[in-house]
Amino acid sequence: MTSPAPAAEPLLSGGPSSAQPVRTPVLRRLGVSMPTWDLITTKHLELRKRRGLMITVLVMTIVPTVLILGLRLAFHLFDPAHYGPAGAPDVFAAIANLTAEFGFIIAAVVGAAAGTTDLNDGVFRYLVVTGRSRLALYLARIPAGLAILIPAVAIAFGMLCLVTSYESAPQPTAVSMNNNIPVPPYLDQAQLQTWTNQHPRQAAQAFPPGQIVDGAGPIAPGTKPGIALDYANYLGSEDQQFEPAVNEMAKIGLWLSLEVGIGFLVGLGLGSLTGQRTLSTILLIGLEIIVTPILARTPIPYFLDGQRLDVGVAMDQLRPAGLAPTGGGPLFGGRGSLGIPPMPTWAMISVIVGWIVVWSVLGAWRMMTRDA
Amino acid sequence: MNAIHTRAISHYRPGPARWEAATAVAHGGGLHFGVIVLALLVLGGLGYSVARTRRGHARQHDDEWGRQEATPPGSSGPAGPAGSPRSAEPLQRGGPPAAAGSPATPGAAPNGDTSPVPPRPARAVSFDRPTGGWAVETHGLTKRFGSNVAVNDVDLLVPRGCAFGYLGPNGAGKTTLIRTLLGLTRADGGTMSLLGIPVPAERNRALARVGAIVDEPLFHPHLTGRDNLRLLAAARGGDAGQRIGPSLARVGLAERAGDKVARYSLGMRQRLGVASCLLGDPELLILDEPMNGLDPAGMHQMRTMITDLVDEGRTVVLSSHLLDEVERTCDAVAIVDRGRVIRQGPIDELIRGAGTLTVQIDCADPARAARLIDEAGIAAGTSLAEAGITVTLPAGSSRELVADINRRLVGAGISVYGLQEIRASLEDWFLSVTTRLGENP
Repeated sequence: MTSPAPAAEPLLSGGPSSAQPVRTPVLRRLGVSMPTWDLITTKHLELRKRRGLMITVLVMTIVPTVLILGLRLAFHLFDPAHYGPAGAPDVFAAIANLTAEFGFIIAAVVGAAAGTTDLNDGVFRYLVVTGRSRLALYLARIPAGLAILIPAVAIAFGMLCLVTSYESAPQPTAVSMNNNIPVPPYLDQAQLQTWTNQHPRQAAQAFPPGQIVDGAGPIAPGTKPGIALDYANYLGSEDQQFEPAVNEMAKIGLWLSLEVGIGFLVGLGLGSLTGQRTLSTILLIGLEIIVTPILARTPIPYFLDGQRLDVGVAMDQLRPAGLAPTGGGPLFGGRGSLGIPPMPTWAMISVIVGWIVVWSVLGAWRMMTRDA
Repeated sequence: MNAIHTRAISHYRPGPARWEAATAVAHGGGLHFGVIVLALLVLGGLGYSVARTRRGHARQHDDEWGRQEATPPGSSGPAGPAGSPRSAEPLQRGGPPAAAGSPATPGAAPNGDTSPVPPRPARAVSFDRPTGGWAVETHGLTKRFGSNVAVNDVDLLVPRGCAFGYLGPNGAGKTTLIRTLLGLTRADGGTMSLLGIPVPAERNRALARVGAIVDEPLFHPHLTGRDNLRLLAAARGGDAGQRIGPSLARVGLAERAGDKVARYSLGMRQRLGVASCLLGDPELLILDEPMNGLDPAGMHQMRTMITDLVDEGRTVVLSSHLLDEVERTCDAVAIVDRGRVIRQGPIDELIRGAGTLTVQIDCADPARAARLIDEAGIAAGTSLAEAGITVTLPAGSSRELVADINRRLVGAGISVYGLQEIRASLEDWFLSVTTRLGENP
C-alpha cells in the first residue's frame, strides 16, 4: 500500500503487464469491422430470448400456415365433397402470399428491434466501451436476425410445400382459360401460337380481345393482343391451376426469403437510424399495407418513376407467377396487384438493391457516429 | 416473372360454395382490413413488451441484496467482492487477496457506517511522468453542448496504480469527461490518452485494456446476468469469455448469475457492472458514481473491491460527488467544477497544502497563551476555547511549528496539558476551495 507509483514498476506477478504481448491477439481482433462468430451468436441469443418477439414471429409465420392447412386438411377429411384437398394450387398461393405479407411485417418488427434494443436497454455504450468496432456491432445483427426469421419462414413454407406435394388435388388435363376453354398444358409460346392457329374459334374465346390486362390498361375493342400477352395470360392461368413444380416452389421460396430479408434490413437500418423501435415499426407497416398498395395500383401522372422507387412495387413485379392474384384484384394485405406499367428488370433490381444498401448504410453510419 | 396477369383468369373449382368463397375473400381486398388489425395487434404487443421491460427495470428487489449480505463469510457466492480468494484468483494480478469475509479496509465497519473518515493506509502516489504513460492524460480537453461547456479545457493526469477520485458537484461535467475519454461522444478540442495510447486515434486498442461503468450500469433486463456478460465478452473477444465465471464470483453474483437482470437490485447491477469491467482483465477501470444506490453495506463492499483492484496493480478512476467516499477510497483526486479541473493531486498533499492546520491546546492560562502566540506572529489566528485555545496555523505549516508553540508556552511558564492536531477532511478542504471560487469567480 505504501509502494511507489506502480506504473514505474512491473505489474504484480499474477497478470500480464501492459508491455507483455499476451494481449495482442485480443487487440488484433478488436477494431476489425467484421463481426466474430461469438458476437453473432450472442446477438442471436439476445434476440431469441425476447419472448414476446419470438411469439410474434411464430404467430405471424408458422401459426397461420399450420392453422389454415390443419383446418383445410380436417375439412377435406370430414367433408371432401365441399372442401377440396389442402394441397390445391389456390391454397398454396393464398398461404404463400399470406406468408409474404406477414413475413415482411414481422421482419420489419424484428429488424427494428435488433436495431434499437441495445440503445433502448442502455447497453450500447457498454458494447462500445469494449473497443469493438461499431460497424462490427451493426453487422453482427444481420445474420443474428436473419437466423431467426429465415428458419421460421422456411418452416412455414416447407410445410406448405409438403402438403401441396402430398395432398394435392388431381391435376387437370388442360389449362382452363376464359369461358372455360381448355388449352393443352405445358405449351411454350411457339406451341401456343400453333394451337391458336389451329383452333381459331376456341382461341378467340380463350383469349378475347379487349380484356383488361394488369399494368397495360384496357385494350381497345377489336384489337387482338399479341401472342406474347396471350402467352403471359396462359402461363398465369397454368400457374394458378396446376400444382407448382419443384423449381417453381424453389423460386417462390427464394422470393419469400428476399421479401423477409428486405423487411429485416430496412427495419434494422431504420431502427438504427432513428433509435425508435415503435416509430420504425409503424413506418414500415404503413409502407407495407398502405403506401405500397396505393403506389402499385394507381398510376399517378408525372410520378410513375417515383412510384417505381417503392421496394414493394419492385417486389410485386418480381412476385412469381404462381403467387399472382387471381382475378387481378389485390391480395391479402392489399399488395400484389400491379396497376402501373412494369419497369425494366434492371430498374427493378436496382430499386431492390438500392433499398437494401441505402438503409443499411444509413443505419451503420448512424450507429458509428451516434453518441453512446 | 410474369408481370402481366389478366383479371379474367379462370379459377380452379374443386368444390362449390364455402371454400371458394373463403378463397375469394382471402384473395380480395376485404382482408386488407384484417392486416391493419393485425398490424395494430403487433404494435399493441410492442407496447406491452416495452411496458413490461420498464416494469422490470422498476422492480428492484433490495431484499435479494440483503439476502446476499446475510450469507456467512467464506461461502462462494454472496461473500462480497473479496469473499472468495480461490474463486477470484484467476482475475487477480498477484496482489494479496483479502481475507474471506473480513473487511479489507482497516477501520471500516462491516455493516457500513456514517462515522468520520477512518484512517486509511496511505498509498504513495507519484505525479512524476511514468514510463508507460499516465493512466489518463488530457490536455485542453473541451466538450460543448451548444453554448454549454461541459468539459472546459481540462488538463488531467491520473497516475497508474492508484485509486483516483474525480470529484465534483452534480452537473460539474464528470460523466461528460468520462464519456469523452471513452469515445462515447466526440471531443470538441484537446488531446487525450488512456494508458499512454492516444485516443481517439487508437481508441479500440486503448479500450481493450479499459473497463468502465458510465452513468449507471444498464443491461438487457430480459437476459440473465451471465448472458449479459456473455454478450459483452463476445464483444471484447479473446479470453474474455473465460473470465465470466471468475468475474461473477468475485463480485459475489455467482449464485444469482442465472437470474434475469430485471430481478436485480441496483446494488446487484452495480456489481454486475464491475464484473463486466473485469472481463477484459483491465489495467484501468473507470467507474462513474459506483456508490449510487448502494446501501451502507454495499458501499463498504464496493470500497473494498476498489481497494483490492488497486492492490492488484490496476488503476481505478472513480467519479463521485460523495466527498467522504472519495476520501475513504482514493489516493489522489481532481476537483472539477463547472467543467474545469481546479485542483488535482494526492489527497494528503492537497489538504495539507491548501488548507490550514488547526491545533487545539489545553493549557493553564489560555488568555496569556493566546496573547503570547499572537505576539510571536507565528499563527494565522487564535481563539479562546472552552478548555484552552484553538490556534490556526498558516497554510503549508509543518508540524514542527506545533512543537515550537509548545516550547514557547512552556518557556513562558504556561503549563501545557495537551496538544491536538485537528486534521482537515477532504470535505473541509473542498468546501474551502469552492467557497473561494464563489468569492472569486
